[in-house]
Amino acid sequence: MAKLDGKRVLACCANGAGSSLMMENAIKKVMDRNGIKLAELRHAPVAEGKSAARNYDIVMVAKTFVKTFDGVENDGTVLIPLKNVMSDKEIEAALKERDLLD
Amino acid sequence: MGVLEKIVETGNYSFIDGEGVTWQEAVRLSTLPMVKSGTVSEDYYKQIVDCIEKYGPYVVFEHNIAMPHTQENATGAFKTGIGFMASKKMIDFGEDEDGEKKEANVFFTLSAANPNEHLDNIQQLMSIFMNDPLIDALAQAESPEDILEAAKKYPCEE
Repeated sequence: MAKLDGKRVLACCANGAGSSLMMENAIKKVMDRNGIKLAELRHAPVAEGKSAARNYDIVMVAKTFVKTFDGVENDGTVLIPLKNVMSDKEIEAALKERDLLD
Repeated sequence: MGVLEKIVETGNYSFIDGEGVTWQEAVRLSTLPMVKSGTVSEDYYKQIVDCIEKYGPYVVFEHNIAMPHTQENATGAFKTGIGFMASKKMIDFGEDEDGEKKEANVFFTLSAANPNEHLDNIQQLMSIFMNDPLIDALAQAESPEDILEAAKKYPCEE
């Protein structure tokens, strides 16, 4: 069983309509390619995502919003900042780097 | 119909020189055809400007592409649509959090009223944004015919 199976992933951006949606699409691509079945994958605006973050295993954000999520890692959530929100390659590399993907 | 063809059909496109144009003005200009086509309200652009002022130029992606937008169902977003704008000169968006200069000459300004349509737009735009020769051709576009020709010449893989 892959490490990410059954995990919950949240993608956040300012409005929850642009870059977070792109991230969600790119994450989906990575999961499909690796045959991973997430329990949940959704996108949200940062204002909502900040309070919801602790309920997710992984939160991905554009680098700009990293500060907003200060402290979420104390709750065991993995915070992954992305430079290019639509790059499935960057997402894949970031997951591998954190040993979440083989 | 692809998003580029739809942009041409709805008339949501503009071409500017961009000399001395601020990013705030550029965002406004990109919404003008959308106002005309009944896609967004006249002051819709202000919400986009507020958002970029608050969070920085995160709407500017690689390859000098800007995707100004607000949230889904924003006030003044009457229809789901995309406003395309090509600028001859780079529009300066300042620096991002790493001090990297952000500038754009291709704009895809979004309005989201219908979540499904919007999702489809976003998915298509992702393919377009990663299609370098297509973006280069769109940056040079000066007419709706140029947009259609670029779309035909550099199709996106699905």
